[in-house]
Amino acid sequence: MAADWLTHRGVKSAKKSVNLSGEFLARFLLALLVIGTPLWIWAARRGETAVTVHALMPEKGGFLPDTLTAAVGVPLELNLISDDVMHGFAVGQTGWPAVDVKPGQMTEVTLTFAEPGTYTYYCTRWCGPNHWRMRGTIEVTGAEEREAPPASPPLYVELELDIDAPHELDILLKTPPSAARGAELDITLPSEFLSRDVYLTQTPFEVWQALRLASETAALTDEDVWDLVAAAWHSQTTDEQIQRGQTLYNQNCAACHGSGGGGDGVFGQAFDQASDFTDSQTMLGASTAVFDGKIRRGGMGTGMPYWGTIFTDEEIDALIAYLWTFQFPMDNE
Amino acid sequence: MKQQRLWLLFIVAIFGVAFAPLPLGTAVPTSRTVRLEASSFEFSPAVVAVNPGDQVTIELAATDVMHGLYLDGYDLEITAEPGQTAVLTFTADKTGTFRFRCSVTCGALHPFMIGKLKVGPNLLLWRSVALSLLAVLFFISREPLFVNREPLSVVRKPNAEYEIRNTEHGIRNTEHP
Ligand code: HEC
Ligand SMILES: [Cu+2]
Ligand SMILES: [Cu+2]
Repeated sequence: MAADWLTHRGVKSAKKSVNLSGEFLARFLLALLVIGTPLWIWAARRGETAVTVHALMPEKGGFLPDTLTAAVGVPLELNLISDDVMHGFAVGQTGWPAVDVKPGQMTEVTLTFAEPGTYTYYCTRWCGPNHWRMRGTIEVTGAEEREAPPASPPLYVELELDIDAPHELDILLKTPPSAARGAELDITLPSEFLSRDVYLTQTPFEVWQALRLASETAALTDEDVWDLVAAAWHSQTTDEQIQRGQTLYNQNCAACHGSGGGGDGVFGQAFDQASDFTDSQTMLGASTAVFDGKIRRGGMGTGMPYWGTIFTDEEIDALIAYLWTFQFPMDNE
Repeated sequence: MKQQRLWLLFIVAIFGVAFAPLPLGTAVPTSRTVRLEASSFEFSPAVVAVNPGDQVTIELAATDVMHGLYLDGYDLEITAEPGQTAVLTFTADKTGTFRFRCSVTCGALHPFMIGKLKVGPNLLLWRSVALSLLAVLFFISREPLFVNREPLSVVRKPNAEYEIRNTEHGIRNTEHP
């Protein structure tokens, strides 16, 4: 009898709990449906269009895939994920801020291009010695095929310069030329020395030679004339430009060329000896056009990356303005 | 009586060693700069010692890939990339030993990239060393008390009703046959 009652109770309570959990389940499913459907639709829509881009160390493949396509005005959704270490992602010449791409974490970016063309995306975090090889391209097609404006060739092509030729001089400067001292000399330079053209196409040494022969400098020492060259160079750059150049330099170049420009960055010897921008023998024999060409095109099989598709013209100008300050320091008396 | 005094003495000594404020940390706070080189997968130096109150400047230089530094206890973080040395300045106002670790996933052994910041002498360590010495002293001084006592081991007495046997399963009482 007692045993009977026990079983009866047991069955009853079990039934009740089944009812309860069934109701709960139904409510839960309903809630899931109400909340989840829009979420799911949104996720599925993004999933349809979003492209997953994996980031790996360059030795293991770099960006996968490394070619993407998009159309002007149509948002390109990317899901970025790292399969090893911390990487970064930025699109050259757009000015869009770089994002970090961390392992085990999805970084979503949406890119909308206003102009057709080929864009380069690149890693912005030093992830290994080959980090600078980690790049990909986005082919953006226009709504209607427009005639692309003919791009003017880089200066070094126009001038037919051999940017790989050695440009070492046999000179020795005791002190670095100073624009400030040059200004103090109170000499009005003939205007042809202050032209943009001279800054772009002539080497400082060529300008020094020409100035040396000018009648205005007859009474000056050789060092004074170098100070005049520094002043002429300084007149072609602005402080903001130099500051901008310094920021870009530290982010992109200092790892090889050294934060002091001495070619002694941690990767300065990883490939070929990175150029020493503090060496007056090589620097004063090169022109802005040579640097411009080298930065755009990169080295020929050397460790010097090409930056032509990454930086805008203004950014390259700013970088070169900063490079010259290693020869013509701004703040020495 | 003599025993009681000894006990009292030791208790006072124990509290003294464990809790007495020490006139340490009187070193005049200075500012010091430490250059930390971060490479895969270590910090060099791995141990940084400063005095409490010091103004500490850490220059973090990455020598291969991007690394970071997160300082436990102080909850501070910086990251550095090759060519871009990062600088962190703080006042070492918490004493003790704090771990710092790399905060950027930098490779396979990244979780093992750790170091230590020691602020002030490690009082806890010295106090515990002193306490152990005190304990040793205590037992040495107590030794004469044992002389007239029976040794602690169990001795089988001839007329005992049971014996204590040490079996595999522990100590078990068994009836004497
Ligand atoms: C991965 C290492 C590396 C990075 C990063 C790098 N460079 Fe170079 N760079 C080199 C090497 C190596 C050379 C020398 C070989 C050559 O000229 O091709 C060089 C040469 C140059 C030269 C030629 C100098 C001369 O005297 O002709 C310029 C200019 C230059 N780099 C600018 C830059 C700028 C600006 C950046 C950053 C935007 C940069 N480099 C980033 C490795 C690097
Ligand atoms: Cu990278
Ligand atoms: Cu690390």
